[in-house]
Amino acid sequence: MSETALDFETEALSYMDQLYAAALRMTRNGADAEDLVQETYAKAFAAQDKFTMGTNLKAWLYRIQTNAFINTYRKKQRQPKLSDAEQVEDWQIAAAAEHTSSGLVSAEQEALDQIGDVEVKRALSELSEDFRMAVYLSDVEGFAYKEIAEIMDTPVGTVMSRLHRGRKLLREKLREYAAERGIYDKRPAPNVDSGEVCHARKGV
Amino acid sequence: MPGRECEEALDRLFEYIDDELSDDELRRIGAHLKTCPPCEAEHKIKEKIKNLTSRSGGDAAPEELRERILASIRSTRA
Repeated sequence: MSETALDFETEALSYMDQLYAAALRMTRNGADAEDLVQETYAKAFAAQDKFTMGTNLKAWLYRIQTNAFINTYRKKQRQPKLSDAEQVEDWQIAAAAEHTSSGLVSAEQEALDQIGDVEVKRALSELSEDFRMAVYLSDVEGFAYKEIAEIMDTPVGTVMSRLHRGRKLLREKLREYAAERGIYDKRPAPNVDSGEVCHARKGV
Repeated sequence: MPGRECEEALDRLFEYIDDELSDDELRRIGAHLKTCPPCEAEHKIKEKIKNLTSRSGGDAAPEELRERILASIRSTRA
């Protein structure tokens, strides 16, 4: 075997744990996750000639796995999609409302300190697939927006709106869990005009 | 104007914590966060949630999956 082929194999195999963890988030099922990772490696080794050594192998493998997931598994469970215009508008409007009073925010910070990994995993698993994967690829895998865009085959703007919406939902779920456990008092959001809020939209 | 600064900082907080801003933008928003406690509090929460999610990976591939994949590569190469 050539040195290049050996390098490819060694590097590709070093991502197996990460690909499996991502496959678990995609399929939410151990057996399907194993099949998906196996399919990913079969496809990657079959297409090895198309990969340029020195470019981003990890992102390339994620792209193959994401495509395999879409083609094999997602067909079973079609989801209606929002248009990107709706998504962008929605999170931009939401940004102002996030500027809340420091009292509420510190209560939320304290509640978050008591949230465990199990709850975070549960919250993430309850997000819809596109949001879940965008958040996972950014927060867990540390991919840049541009890489996530390539992996998910969408424009960078769509990645950003998925991250905004996914993280917003995740935060709401974590707040709910904290409230269920009595570690966060769910008070209504402060009124934007009440002076509780800083100068977010005032004098603009 | 402070209002605009808050608006920009809040709109771009995710890009800030994801390290997706240019050096100039990073400096400008970082400077605003230092002087605006509500924006800084929001920044801390978003950062905390990102840190929580970042720990939620870590599932190792089962050993028999590894063996299955290695066997299949070997048989293709043979």
